[in-house]
Amino acid sequence: MFCTQCGANNADTAAICAQCGRNLQAVTPAVPSQATGVILPPGTTVQNYLVFAILATVFCCLPAGIPAIVYAAQVNGKLQAGDLAGAQMASKNAKMWCLISLGVGLGVVALYALLIMVGVLSGLHQNR
Amino acid sequence: MLRRDENRLLAAMLAAFAVGVMMLRVFDPATSGIFPPCPVRYLTGWYCPGCGSLRAIHQLLHGNLRAAWAMNPLTVVLLPFLTYGLASSALFEIRGHGLPQPFLRAVWIRALCAAIILFGIARNLPLHPFHLLAPGTMLHL
Repeated sequence: MFCTQCGANNADTAAICAQCGRNLQAVTPAVPSQATGVILPPGTTVQNYLVFAILATVFCCLPAGIPAIVYAAQVNGKLQAGDLAGAQMASKNAKMWCLISLGVGLGVVALYALLIMVGVLSGLHQNR
Repeated sequence: MLRRDENRLLAAMLAAFAVGVMMLRVFDPATSGIFPPCPVRYLTGWYCPGCGSLRAIHQLLHGNLRAAWAMNPLTVVLLPFLTYGLASSALFEIRGHGLPQPFLRAVWIRALCAAIILFGIARNLPLHPFHLLAPGTMLHL
């Protein structure tokens, strides 16, 4: 089927346009999504937190950032398949892993600041 | 009331971001000790995909694209997209709608994830073309 917004050719079973993300199921409500039977309202998007997942991976803490990216991919994959509930679940997981990353990152910064303070204090002590 | 707390949180986050960028411009993470080391590098001795990213941004803030590339090419490539995405999120919080963003198919996000992991592995290999990806090696060419 052709997307009504950008004209891209999509598979007939696609829930949203691969090109622009427009909800195709709502445009043709006669064919409800196979996965859930739920018709997504037009313009439905589910936050995938991809930007934050990449930031977490590159700046915070590698091990927690990778699952966040994997879940971000899952959000868009489930949206492509018309599985809104699944996409929202994956979105929650992506957010959780971003927050874990942030927590670990802030923990490292706090620990480092503490070590520096201890170092400075012991330095003062030795100079006396 | 809730709305006001959210606004305060947003303002605090934007302020923290600005302070972070300014500190990264003034202090070079390569020489000053005020930025914490990468925990992965510290604990395992291996470079992670993000090692050198702060040094790369420091160099970028001084206009040294070459030095930034030598520190972490992945960061240099991703940074424009990350900046756009962050700006979009900030605008979304401020005015209710962000910047136009294309829908990324899941396969592309998975490819990006694989690329980040492969980059992380490659820069630890002691073989010729790969070791150039380790932070700073390309400075000595």
